[in-house]
Amino acid sequence: MEIIQKFGLEAKLFLFQLVNFLIIVFILKRFLFAPLRKMLEQRKRKIEQSLLDAENAKLALDNASQERKKMLSEAKLNADKLTSSVKIAIEEEKQKATIEAKHQAQTILDEARQQAGLEFDNVSKQLGKMSIDLSQKILKKVFSDLFSEEEKQKLMSRALEKIDEKITN
Amino acid sequence: MQISPDVLFSVAGFPVTNTVITTLITDVVIITLVILATKKVSLKPQGTQNAIEAIIDYFRETTESIAGSRASFIYPWVVSFFLFIIISNLIAQIPGFESIRFHVSSGDHGVPLLRAATSDLNLTLALAVASVVTTHFLSIKHTGIKGYLTRFISFKMFPVFLFVGILEFVNELAKFISFSFRLFGNIFAGEKVMATMYGICSFGLPLPFIGLELMVALIQAIVFAMLTMAFMHIMTDKSH
Repeated sequence: MEIIQKFGLEAKLFLFQLVNFLIIVFILKRFLFAPLRKMLEQRKRKIEQSLLDAENAKLALDNASQERKKMLSEAKLNADKLTSSVKIAIEEEKQKATIEAKHQAQTILDEARQQAGLEFDNVSKQLGKMSIDLSQKILKKVFSDLFSEEEKQKLMSRALEKIDEKITN
Repeated sequence: MQISPDVLFSVAGFPVTNTVITTLITDVVIITLVILATKKVSLKPQGTQNAIEAIIDYFRETTESIAGSRASFIYPWVVSFFLFIIISNLIAQIPGFESIRFHVSSGDHGVPLLRAATSDLNLTLALAVASVVTTHFLSIKHTGIKGYLTRFISFKMFPVFLFVGILEFVNELAKFISFSFRLFGNIFAGEKVMATMYGICSFGLPLPFIGLELMVALIQAIVFAMLTMAFMHIMTDKSH
């Protein structure tokens, strides 16, 4: 009893402290832990939802990225196809143009040849005429003094026939 | 050396001591904290809400790591013990706390108006009783009356388990003493050390001891809370 008195233990004070602490526990449980726990749960849910959203966003981003890659590869493939088809078309066009040009060149060449042939014939005929005229003149000049008019005429006509033959041959 | 708290006055036969006054101040501080923390509860905690949440979260996570799903009913008690003890201990560390004198009768030297609440064995014993009785109540609630009694009375492997049961009973009684005297002894001794230091030299000398006492205040609050947590875990676990 003396020890209890020395430490100041008293039933009233002990009960007061016990009841006081239990009231504090009640206040803390009722007014602190309950709203904070509710809020913590709400925050936890929000964080979980945010994480889920982030995961979904990441998934969507991955899908979009894959889609983009797929589209790019498809576009590249199409572009390659287009390029190759254009190359083929160009090649064909080139070949076609070359053939046409060759054909045209050949036509022009043939026409030119034909024209040249015609020109040559004309020139030849003219030259023949000119040479006949010239021969006539030479023969007239040469034979005017040596032969009679009759002999001249005979020789001249014979010579002219010969020349004519030569020319025609 | 006086160990018991000083009676300042009586109200309807109830002796109001200086530790009772400090207990009431502790209550006011706790209630103020509760109001400040829950005034504007938001998803982005700030100020008092943030600090209180950090304490609650720490003890909740620690309790969960030890007691698992039983943490939901254990941690409110643990946090309550911690907050009550730490606040009453820290209030007592305010410089000049014990220097305010109260004259009980004219002509006397007066007694300190305030004294550390936990330096009163009535309070520490009340806390010990609250802790142990709640632990036993939770044990009965969660393990059943049969599971609870088999901790103390068992006729399996007679008389070994009977002896173990007696030891368990003594162990439970010892908890009252260990809980109450550990906290009371540490705070009371710290108070006397501080009084001695202030008596030798009021300037500078008490500073390192204030730091030491702040540490003791924190450690004692944690020890009480953690021991309560451990005992509640053991007593509510069916496998123990």
